Amino acid sequence: MFGWWRFDRILLLASVAAGALTHGYNLFNYPLYITDEGIYIQQAWAVLREDRLSPYTYFYDHAPAGWLAIATWVALLPGQFQTFGNALNTGRALMLVCHVISTFLLYRITQRLSGSRVSAVVATFFFNVSPLAVFYQREVLLDNVMVMWLLLAVFFLTSGREWRDGDLRIVTVILSGLAFGVAVLTKENALFFAPALTYVLFKRLRGRMNYRFSMGFWSFSAISSISIYFLYATLKNELLPSNFSFDLNNPPADHVSLLYSIWWQLHRGEGTILDASSPVWRFSLGAWLPKDSFILAAGAAATLVNLAVGLLSHGRKREGTIVGALALSYGVYLARGSEMLEFYVVPLLPFLAMNIGLLLGWCVAVLPNRIRAIPAIILVMVFTLNPLWGYVLVIDEFGHVVPHDLYKLGQTYMQEQQLQWIRQNVPPDAKLIIDDDMWADLHDVKPYYRFAHSHFKAASDPDVRDKLFGKDWRNIDFIVMSNKMRDAMTLNNADGSESWILQALDNSTRVWSVQHGDVELEVDKVNG
Amino acid sequence: MPVLLDVFVLGSLVLSILLTIQSAYTLYLMLYTWDSPESHSAAKAPAEFLPPARSFTVMLPARHEEDVIQTTIERVVRANYPAHLLEIVVICKTDDQGTIAQAEEKIARLRSEGVSNVNVLTFSTPPTNKPHGLNVGLAATSHQIVTIFDSEDDIHPDIFNVVNTVMLTENVNVVQSGVQLMNYDSNWYSTLNVLEYFFWFKSRLHYHARAGMTPLGGNTVFFARNVLERAGGWDERNLTEDADVGIRISSMREPVRVVYDDRYVTREETPPSLNHFIRQRTRWSQGFLQTLKKGDWTRLPTFEQRLLAIYTLMFPSIQTVLGLYVVVSLATMFTIKTPVLVAITLSLPLYLLLAHLLLAIIGLYEFAAAHHLKPTWTTPLVMIITYLPYQWVLSYASVRATIRELRGINNWEKTAHVGAHRVESAPSRSAAGAKIG
Repeated sequence: MFGWWRFDRILLLASVAAGALTHGYNLFNYPLYITDEGIYIQQAWAVLREDRLSPYTYFYDHAPAGWLAIATWVALLPGQFQTFGNALNTGRALMLVCHVISTFLLYRITQRLSGSRVSAVVATFFFNVSPLAVFYQREVLLDNVMVMWLLLAVFFLTSGREWRDGDLRIVTVILSGLAFGVAVLTKENALFFAPALTYVLFKRLRGRMNYRFSMGFWSFSAISSISIYFLYATLKNELLPSNFSFDLNNPPADHVSLLYSIWWQLHRGEGTILDASSPVWRFSLGAWLPKDSFILAAGAAATLVNLAVGLLSHGRKREGTIVGALALSYGVYLARGSEMLEFYVVPLLPFLAMNIGLLLGWCVAVLPNRIRAIPAIILVMVFTLNPLWGYVLVIDEFGHVVPHDLYKLGQTYMQEQQLQWIRQNVPPDAKLIIDDDMWADLHDVKPYYRFAHSHFKAASDPDVRDKLFGKDWRNIDFIVMSNKMRDAMTLNNADGSESWILQALDNSTRVWSVQHGDVELEVDKVNG
Repeated sequence: MPVLLDVFVLGSLVLSILLTIQSAYTLYLMLYTWDSPESHSAAKAPAEFLPPARSFTVMLPARHEEDVIQTTIERVVRANYPAHLLEIVVICKTDDQGTIAQAEEKIARLRSEGVSNVNVLTFSTPPTNKPHGLNVGLAATSHQIVTIFDSEDDIHPDIFNVVNTVMLTENVNVVQSGVQLMNYDSNWYSTLNVLEYFFWFKSRLHYHARAGMTPLGGNTVFFARNVLERAGGWDERNLTEDADVGIRISSMREPVRVVYDDRYVTREETPPSLNHFIRQRTRWSQGFLQTLKKGDWTRLPTFEQRLLAIYTLMFPSIQTVLGLYVVVSLATMFTIKTPVLVAITLSLPLYLLLAHLLLAIIGLYEFAAAHHLKPTWTTPLVMIITYLPYQWVLSYASVRATIRELRGINNWEKTAHVGAHRVESAPSRSAAGAKIG
């Protein structure tokens, strides 16, 4: 019994508990529910309630393992979508579970690779406490689920007695391949980690007795699990576009196609890192750096240092190459200028944290064994207690030291109020334009609002746009405005597809609103 | 009609799930040795040999083996082991005068060189089959350890040192050493046939030995004489007397040590024609069915061992279903409208089939590296093309075996040997390993 409670177990337990605390506390109140969270919950709803992957036409925008996982989670809960108060909270509870598992995996992987508890504790500290990480990791995002599977794949690859060149069971290799396959099926951008993972496997097992089988079966288990997505499309007769047409200017009209969607995604460039107006700069400067500049700057610097040390050490510091490559391979994906959303930084964060941890571990290794932990303890204390560094405590506009918004601010109560107002004042047969964040609650709790659809679907889905609304603003009864929804509508209106909805907005009367800080919600009644 | 269709789909679904589990399990057995370093090192032969101590009776049962029997005798006689500790008997039925004459001729030449530990032993009583010959041999010989080599076997000169050392150091009474077909590029089925042996002896048999349920091979198997006598010798009515005696010995709780060291394997050849191959497979499948029917496996000590015995003995029949089912599942997936989840489940055995094909292709390179061979780039391509036909041949042999068993046909369909493995492999068989003292 005492053996289990060894020091490293206590550190591991403390790290996991810290993750549960920073992510669990105030989880349901902050941050505001966002559109993407609503979309994934709505698709999980479709899995459970309608036996399909989306309540609308599923056009292979993402592989479905993420919301299949959410649906499984919901199915296991006694109160289903309402177990934690509302559908998005229930999804966020799963994100908490994913984070706790990811923290455990991150700790163990870092400890194995670095051979240092200091590295593991520091890596999990930044993963758990960085405001940038906590903000997005609380949200119901496919990336959060994907990170868990990805870390599991790395965890398996680094298991066994000696990760550097020790034997590895083929069963473990297969499990790693399957976990990686599920990661890709959860969010396709996991593919960018494949080179780093195969590097780990290749370097570890080259020359070992099961090298050939391991490489073969890792690839096979990953590819075969990913291929199920393609098999699904084939069985639905949706693999290829009609007439094999991959013309991006003329999307196939009669049925959706997986390969066409992939082709389309590959051509959705928005400017590379060399372009100052590209999303990578927009989000770095506008959304990520203000939340936590340290993890980005120190993580990037540590990545480069680790990579350089790893490559120059002729294999002695291979962990530097591995950890650096994990961060860099995804960094290259972000920098190459594809279509990007704010939360795309999520998969980078565990590996930035791991790089910081590894580098610090190397640095303290020059100190005598007994005092190696001291720099790490000071670092953790400073980040936790110093309000100037803004991790847990901050200085508010009145000069008071207060907890970070993550731990005190409530925002989602406004969205709850908005939902309540609709339930009390809008008849269930009304035709509503909404944002996706409240979709599942309107469709899953009686009375059902069957005609409530997001402005995205009302702009693009023929069934909603043409059959329900007839693309006529007069057929809309209410528009439920989420925060900054008008901006999103304008952004999505480059081709004029939202004009008729914006026209409805211009011909409407505000019947309910709430404002707090920079959050403003409203309900508008269309004067049809 | 829709009800019939539903029943068909439901049946296919259940079968898919069962076959997927079965295939995954078989895949694990085939990868067992490579799965863990412990299994891999446990399979190896000793690095150094102890001085010869045990005496061996080498039985060479032969029927119509005029072409190869002299070479076989030569190889056994020239083994690196003291002659006084080796007793070699060529066992023939009296009506096989050709083989007897060739053996006698070779023995006469050896005697002129002063080698006198080889004899011909004949029998005239029925049945005319290998187990009967072995029982005759067992009764007429006296050395401590009894072993069998087939006429076409190309044995390693140090095989007796390996077994002597293993028996002395590990205190085991039964040792099965590896047997390996070598002529992997002789014809369209030889690569897959060679690999079956490779996976069976190098991996799967180790799993059986650890589980305490070992269907032994037909040669290069070494028994302490008293173990064989306690087991009652070989079953003369069984077409796979080797697997049968292994199961009976296992039920006596006698541990079996399996040695597969690429250096010390006994080399053999694939059957020379498809007809011979089918006959050989029919005999094996029928023999397994006979062993299953006989029920000696019910005396195995644990439930897991009995389950493994049933699974192993039924394996050829399961293989039949798998080989045929792949076609049915593909047809069902794309012709019958089922929910997508059902269709994906129906495809799972197909994924496992691909996994087995991949296993075979990687296995080819493992085999080639172990024996310093270089397959051409066309070999894996041929394997891909012939993989399913090969499974269908096995299915056919299994169906044929079942029909024969149901009809009570029990004659021994002998496999011909032409020595294809010897032409290529002879130069590489130099002695290896060191002696202590």
